[in-house]
Amino acid sequence: MENMLEIKDLHACINGKEILKGINLTVGAGEVHAIMGPNGSGKSTLATVLAGKENYEVTRGEVFFRGKNLLEMSPEERSWAGLFLGFQYPVEIPGVTNVNFMKAAVNEHRRQNQMPELSAAEYLKLMREKMAVVEMDPAFSSRGVNVGFSGGEKKRNEIFQMAMLDPKLAILDETDSGLDVDALRIVANGVNKLKNPDNAIIVITHYQRLLDYIIPDIVHVLYKGRIIKTAGKELAREVETRGYDWLINQ
Amino acid sequence: MSENYIYSPSVSNEFRCRVPLAGSRQFFIVDGQVQGGEKFIVPQETGLDFRLGKGETASDLLQFISVRSKERKENLSYRSRFELEESSSARILLCSHTLSSHHFMTDESVSIHLKANADLNMVVMQNEHDNSSHRTDFDVRLDAGAVLKMHLITLHGGEISNRLNIRLEGPAAECELSGLYLADGEQKVTTDVKLSHNVPGCRSSQLFKGVLDGRSLTRFDGLIYVAPDAQKTEAYQANHNLLISEDAKIYTRPHLEIYADDVKCSHGATVGSLNAEELFYMRTRGIALDEAKLLQQLAFAYQVLEKISNGQLRERLYDLTEKRLRGEFSRCSDCSRHCC
Repeated sequence: MENMLEIKDLHACINGKEILKGINLTVGAGEVHAIMGPNGSGKSTLATVLAGKENYEVTRGEVFFRGKNLLEMSPEERSWAGLFLGFQYPVEIPGVTNVNFMKAAVNEHRRQNQMPELSAAEYLKLMREKMAVVEMDPAFSSRGVNVGFSGGEKKRNEIFQMAMLDPKLAILDETDSGLDVDALRIVANGVNKLKNPDNAIIVITHYQRLLDYIIPDIVHVLYKGRIIKTAGKELAREVETRGYDWLINQ
Repeated sequence: MSENYIYSPSVSNEFRCRVPLAGSRQFFIVDGQVQGGEKFIVPQETGLDFRLGKGETASDLLQFISVRSKERKENLSYRSRFELEESSSARILLCSHTLSSHHFMTDESVSIHLKANADLNMVVMQNEHDNSSHRTDFDVRLDAGAVLKMHLITLHGGEISNRLNIRLEGPAAECELSGLYLADGEQKVTTDVKLSHNVPGCRSSQLFKGVLDGRSLTRFDGLIYVAPDAQKTEAYQANHNLLISEDAKIYTRPHLEIYADDVKCSHGATVGSLNAEELFYMRTRGIALDEAKLLQQLAFAYQVLEKISNGQLRERLYDLTEKRLRGEFSRCSDCSRHCC
């Protein structure tokens, strides 16, 4: 089976400071990986580098996404190829409505994949269907992207966008932060509905809590820019009770 | 719907606006000459006089389309006068176009007098070729209780200069002013506003925004003047600019002169560039960089356009702004008018 994502010895810097110091990670289709780790260990940097943010410099290593060299692709090319990043802090875009934003995104994806653009009616139908996945009020579609949304609404909007774009690999960066229990359940259920044997998910989180809903196959602990431990889902529970110190001291 | 459009009958097809708005009545000013007469309008040698009687309401949107054609290439000046008597009300759209890329020079003066409790909603839309040079002096007077809403939309033009001198001369007069100017290439746009609160108890607000690309050069000079007795004045002004290229320039100078002590006034100006976080977010959703930049510019412009209360006109101007920002206007050598 072809690997979805293959990261080999990835090093990355920002403003001359090395944050990722040799990451190795392989994700196969149908798998759910969780990446945990204390603050400042490089979790968000890894997600951002994979999505292609330009102010991070990759100094060493390789990343292959569905067989293609990911590091040579622009952020939009990565999206067209099936990569999705759920932001820890979704960006507000005043003046661009949710509906226009996602319509532009969906139709660009379709153009890139040699499919005809959706008509207005087809788009609305798809949008309503996907909004239901995260129990989102259709009234949100006419509002500015994330403008005035609560923390929970922003995260729901991320999963709604994921549902619209139907990615092969979704990286969810602290999707659980700022969520109350109900919102957490709705967001996690949304993710589970989108899960299938042909796609894969990387969940980045501080807490076991989210992993009670989205059950990972493999759990990694990231510390100081390196993966220091990889195990099954029981590792998450162990981290929850024992913290990270016992791993760091190993 | 087409029966709703009323053309000045004597105007030849060449000058007609291709996509008129429903419920609008159109008047043409070709090279400064008004074509045909109408109830409200008295053609002058150059320009026109528009007068609305006491208590009258002009129910249609009145569209004045001013075009420069190659029939008269020399410098041209003309004046239009709009006089709204007590408690009258009108909605007016002033469009100016050039029909070819000659070096047209136009010097226009527009005087507006709103008598007590008159109400005018005016949209000015300027779309001319790169070689045009068009200066417009707006001289505006509002009497007691008069309300003016005015939107200046400068889509395209070689050298466009709008000078506004607005005087609030009667208590409880209100003026809401907004403007959007788009410039690229070697274009120049100048906006000069002097808004005078000469009596107590008036309100004014101003929002001007610019999207500046290429090697364009723009200036904004806005003065709010509050006379010594003009207590209880409320006056606000904001000017925001988005620089798209390294070489575009904006000089902005908002200023206040306040001689009364019981007033609420504010002014501010910003100059910024595209937001990198927003661009990255859009790109991660598969919106290509150029499209993401365009969406951001449109969003910025929309905050001015959304103030236009006529929904159909607002949508039209939004579409035109999008076409303009996609660079479609600069490809037209002989058709600036047909996009509108």
